[in-house]
Parts: sequence; structure tokens; C-alpha cells
Amino acid sequence: MSTGKLNTEGIMLFEQPFARVPYENYRKVFRTSQKSIEKELGSVQTAANDIAKRTKSADSDPEDAVKAVEGMITRVENLKRKLADLQSSAGTPTIDVMRERFKHLKNVEDMQTPNDPEFTRWADTRLDRWLVDWSLRNGKEKTAKMIADDRGVERLVDIDLFSDIRRIEDALKQRSCTEALAWCSENKSALRKAKNTLEFDLRLQEYIELARAGKNLEAIAYSKKHLLPWQETHLPQIRQAAALLCYPPTTTCTPYKRLYDTSRWDALIQSFRLAIYNLSTLPSEPLLHLAMYAGLASLKLPACYDQQTKNVDCPVCDPSLGKLAEEVPFSHHVNSTIVCRITGRIMDEDNMPMAFPTNGQVYSREALEDMAARNNGAVNDPQTGETCEFSALRRLFIS
Amino acid sequence: MDAPLKELAKLQKLAGDSSSSKGKSPSINDSLDSLLQSLQEVKDRLQVGTATDETLTILSKTVESRKKEVDERQKEVYNALAKIGKALDKKFQTPLPTYAPLFQSESAHATLERTIALHFLRTGQSKTAETFIEESNVDIDADTRLKFKELHEIVTALKEQDIGPALEWAERNRTFLQKRSSPLEFLLHRSRYTRYLLSPPPDGGDCAAITYAKSYFPPFYSQHEPEIRRLMCCLLYLPVSRLQTSPYADLASPSMHLDLEPMFAKEYCASLGMSRQVPLRVVGDIGGGGALARIEKARSVMRERKSEWSHTEELPIEIPLPPENRYHSIFACPVSKEQSTDQNPPMLMGCGHVITKDSLQKLSKPGGRVKCPYCPVESQVGAALRVHF
Ligand SMILES: [Zn+2]
Ligand SMILES: [Zn+2]
Repeated sequence: MSTGKLNTEGIMLFEQPFARVPYENYRKVFRTSQKSIEKELGSVQTAANDIAKRTKSADSDPEDAVKAVEGMITRVENLKRKLADLQSSAGTPTIDVMRERFKHLKNVEDMQTPNDPEFTRWADTRLDRWLVDWSLRNGKEKTAKMIADDRGVERLVDIDLFSDIRRIEDALKQRSCTEALAWCSENKSALRKAKNTLEFDLRLQEYIELARAGKNLEAIAYSKKHLLPWQETHLPQIRQAAALLCYPPTTTCTPYKRLYDTSRWDALIQSFRLAIYNLSTLPSEPLLHLAMYAGLASLKLPACYDQQTKNVDCPVCDPSLGKLAEEVPFSHHVNSTIVCRITGRIMDEDNMPMAFPTNGQVYSREALEDMAARNNGAVNDPQTGETCEFSALRRLFIS
Repeated sequence: MDAPLKELAKLQKLAGDSSSSKGKSPSINDSLDSLLQSLQEVKDRLQVGTATDETLTILSKTVESRKKEVDERQKEVYNALAKIGKALDKKFQTPLPTYAPLFQSESAHATLERTIALHFLRTGQSKTAETFIEESNVDIDADTRLKFKELHEIVTALKEQDIGPALEWAERNRTFLQKRSSPLEFLLHRSRYTRYLLSPPPDGGDCAAITYAKSYFPPFYSQHEPEIRRLMCCLLYLPVSRLQTSPYADLASPSMHLDLEPMFAKEYCASLGMSRQVPLRVVGDIGGGGALARIEKARSVMRERKSEWSHTEELPIEIPLPPENRYHSIFACPVSKEQSTDQNPPMLMGCGHVITKDSLQKLSKPGGRVKCPYCPVESQVGAALRVHF
């Protein structure tokens, strides 16, 4: 068992998206409430000013004024209901998720060692979360939901976010930009801040599709409305798009052939995915991959790939994980560490390494003493079968 | 996470329901209610004809001031939210690194899917495993599935204090367990014995315990004699209340049975030639327990120094591992600092010190003698023994 302390900083490196996703969600809830308030109270304000002005003029009709006030009452009641609904359907649940996740992270901060049984449970949950994240990114929504439900981690995973991503990606696969454009407009300011031009790419694609369908006039109108606003940053592309109308979809002329290429849709899916990951502070790689990269690299040794030295307990020696570890670097070691192949324990001055006198096989004193005690003082090498008296073993000094 | 939690509590106070929410400005609900009331009053006055020009001018001002109240409240919420954001910024100063996509090749992806499927099976999540296998292209043979199912059933039974299935398995695999000098079977009997001991007669009690001991302990005398003696001696300290304050209190503790589950799983997996720990957990815990952070730190240092580090060969730094995660011996020659290889193996000199073969050759003197750099002893180069760790 390890005696080390928990490396909280190293653990937290993975947890930024975990804490941020519900925070960003709450910001969205707030923006929605703000929009409703502006809209409803704005009109109430206008209406109030209106009737105040009208009553001052001679031709005021009390009936009209009553109607106007009734209209205002309806609006305020609507707003009240909308805000209450928003709070109960999105606001409160999101705050609950935030609190649960923050507390979950606080729990691990308070733990002392990896041996704490609390930590074992925490790490179990973490792996569950990573597997949900991995499944969602790989289109295995049923598995993700099953894990979340079975392990009771619904509030700790982002199934809704990913089903949103999936819905928009599916639409793009069906060659519809509508859903993705709606997402862009919801996140306009964040995208602008990130200097992300997904919206232009989507607009350009819609334009290309008009050109492909031979709807030239519509294409021109579309360009005026949706592409020209980007002229400061995308003038060359806008010009090229204009010229596209002279070329049929079957053209072999490179830049235009490329615009008509349907693989642009796949690229759009990729850019959309990157954009939404970025805005949600999710890494572009699944968290499981990042953890595995570092974990496998910390363990990987040439010995893992040698039949003679494989250890069944070593994850990298496992054929499957060993195959995945081909993509990561080997671990780096400066000092000697001699591990007993019988007990699995590290040998040191208190548990010296000892070698069989003729074949040089080394085991720990602890293991050999145990063997001798059960064997009338004789020891038997499990690798080769060599047998000798315990007293004939040679002691090793490893510096 | 104390700071974000503190800020979150403030946000919750502002955003909660009208009754509980507290802020500098009134809650939006209250403002809207009061606005509704004013509107209603104006409407009533308009209907009975007591409204004047001024009524409506005042109404317009009321609307304005209620709107202002709402805006102020929204501003408070906005600020509270921003403070959570700042607290998170402070807490998470390092972003997750970006890597080129990993495990993308078809074969790597398939291997990963297989690893995950086995993980679900091994950890007893059989329903999830089924769903996952349906959603993927993995094929886990029936025999493997069956084995994991058995493992899970036995462990579940152990959790429910039913050691029968585990004991049956241990009896069937007695030779295997004996070869590993595993005490599993004896400890299962011990568990059952103490349960007899602690439950009331006629099912339990000292008589039942003694009968059990007589029929099941004899084969274990040679290996576990001292523990059996303890188990019998503790009878003298019954009843349970007295046992709990005796030197045998540990036998009355429920925690005694808890180790059986992991021990059983370990032996069961070993019998199938599988690792004792869940491999995906081990890898994840190491990667997520500081390794990635260390690798990233090293990468950024190298970036600053503008030196390149080839990704595929070897990490530029050593990642400290807990002893239970050291699975292979590493021998670094104390003379050359190089790691031993098949071509340059570790050699044991007459004095007991070990250096690599190359270093041994370099240190050798005419006549085939070598003076150990770590002690005064001289020995023959030819007498050095190649050792295997
Ligand atoms: Zn290995
Ligand atoms: Zn020496």
C-alpha cells in the first residue's frame, strides 16, 4: 500500500470542465431570464408612457386605457410565470448540480491519502464519469445513461449537453445548418470573444448549397444578407463565393471544386464540435484518453513487451492495454528499483535481494525465508527449478 | 473549493424563491407583485372613473421604478455569478492540455472498446456491459462472460454475508490456492466460525461454533495453528459484550469480513491469469493522480527552453509511483547510470555489489581482476554472476 499523500493539484487538473459546465449552464439561464425581463417590462414601460401621454390629449377614451392596463397586467403575469418556470425547470436544478459538483471536489480536497476508503469510492466515481464522457463522445448514449443511472452519478455527468451536441451534429449530417446556426446565435458573444468563425462557415455552406441547386438570385440575396457582414475579416472568401456562381457543381477548377466538395460537411461537424467543446471548457480529447495517456506512460517499460519479464498484475503487460500503450512514450527512471517476482514487493535493506548461486535469479529475502521455513531450509527457484540451501543464496547490494 | 462554494451559497440566496431570497434590492417576484398591485389599482380607478391624468403619470413612474428594482436585482445576481466565475478561475489556473487525438486507428479503437467492455464485466456492471457490447463492435466470448458473471455473483453473495459460494469455489480450487500459499479458504472458514460464535443459539453460540471448528479446521492446523488457537481461546471470553473488550475484540468486529471480497476477487482473477487490481482503474488513478500534471509541467519547461521532446520515445521526467504500482525491476548501473539491457545485463561481483557488464569491463584490470568501486574488495571479472530480477 502506498503511503504517499494525495496529489490534489494533479487530480484537479482534470476537473475544470466538471465544475465549469453547470456554471456556464447557469449563465445561460441568467441570460434567458434577462431577455424575458427586457422584453416584457420593456413593453410594459412603453405602454405605460403611451397611455400617460394619451390621457393628456383631449381624445382619451377610458375604455382604451382600461384595455391597455389589462394588457400590461397580462404581460407582467406572463413574465412572473416565465421566470418561475425557468427557475424551477433550469435555475434551481443547475444550482443543485453546481453545488453537488463543488462539494464532490471539496471532498477529495479534504482526503489525505490514496488509501482512504473514501478516496477509493471517489476514484470509482471518477472512472464512471470518465466512461460516461467517453461513451457520449463515441455515440454510445445508451451506455452513458446506463452508467449514470446504475451508479447514481446523473448530476455528475453532462448527458444533456452531449445530447444537444448530438442533435446538432445529426442535423449537420443531414445537411441542415439551421440547428447549428441557432446554437451560434445563442452563443454569439462567447463565439465572438473566442474569435470563432463557425457561423461564417455555416453561412458559406448554406450559400454553396443554393449555388449547387442553381438558385443564383437567392444565392446573391443570401450573400448580401449573411456573408457581407463578415467582409472585414472574410473578404477573399466572400469574393470567391461570388465567383462560384459562374461554375457548375461539376467543375474541375480547384478552388471551386473544393467549395462544392461535400466533405466540407464533415469539416463543419468537426468545427462545430471543437467550438462547443471550447465554449463548455471541455477538452477536445475524452478525459479517459488523457488519463490513460499519462497513466500508461508512467508505467510503460520495455519489460512489458518481453514474454520473459511480463507481470500479470501490470496493466501495460495486459495485451490490450499494452497495444494502446504503443501510442505513448516509455517511462523514465533514474534509480534502481528491484521488485520481488514472488511477493510483488520492492526490495530494500530490510528485505534484501538474494540470488540463487548458479542461475542468478533474484528474489526477496522475505519470500525466500518463507519458502525455506516451509521446506526444511531449502529454497526452490520458481523460474528454473534450481534448488539449494537458504544459506547458499548470495546477498545483493544495490546502490 | 471553499471559495466557489461560498459564492454559490450567495447566488442561491439571491436566486431562490421569493420567501427565502435575500438581497439588497427586493426579489423580482416581490417587485412584480407590487407592480401588479399598482396596475390593478389603476385599472379599478379607471373603471370607476376616479382616475385622473396624474394617476397615469404616476403609474408610468411606478413602472419605471419597479423596472429599476428588477434590474438592480438582476445585477446582483449577475455579480454573484461573476464571483463564482472568478473563484473558479482562481481554483483552476491550468487548462487541460490538448493532445493529438489518441487511440484513433481502427485497431486501437477496437482494443479500447474491448478493454472497456471487460472493465464493466470485471467490476460486476453486467447490465452496462451488455448495453455497451450492443452499442459497440466488441465480441467477448461466452466463457469469459460466464467467468465474470460467476465472480460477480460470488462477490455479491459475500457482500450479503453469504460465504457459501466463495467457499465452494475455494474448495474446488484448493490446489491452486495452496500453490499460491493463499489463506483464502481458511479465512472463509474463520469468517463463518465467528458468525456462529456471535449469533444466538440454537443456530449459533459456542456449541455450534465448536462443532464447526471440529469439522472444518483440522486440514488447516499445519498452516494456521496460531490463529486457530486464538479462535478457540476466544470462546472463553463469551458473551459478545465481554469479547468486545477482550484481546480478541478484532474477532467480533464486522470489519474482519470486509477483506474477504477483495481477497476473493484477487484470487479468482489470478486463477484466470488476470491482474489483481482492475487495470483501467490503476491506469486512470495514476494518470489522474498527478502523472498528467507532471508530464505537462515538464512539457512546458521544455517548451520554454525550446528543446524538443519526442513524444513517442521516453518521458523526459520520472513519474513517482506508489510501491504497489511497481511491477517490474529497474536496474540503473551506479557507475554508468545506464539502465541494464539484455546486451548489457546486471552482474553480481564477488563482494555483492551489482554493476552492468559494460561497466565491469571498463573497470577490469590486467589479469581479469576488478576492484569494486563501492567497497575495498577485489574479485575476478570472470566470476561475476549475471543476475535476473
Ligand atoms: Zn508491465
Ligand atoms: Zn563491492
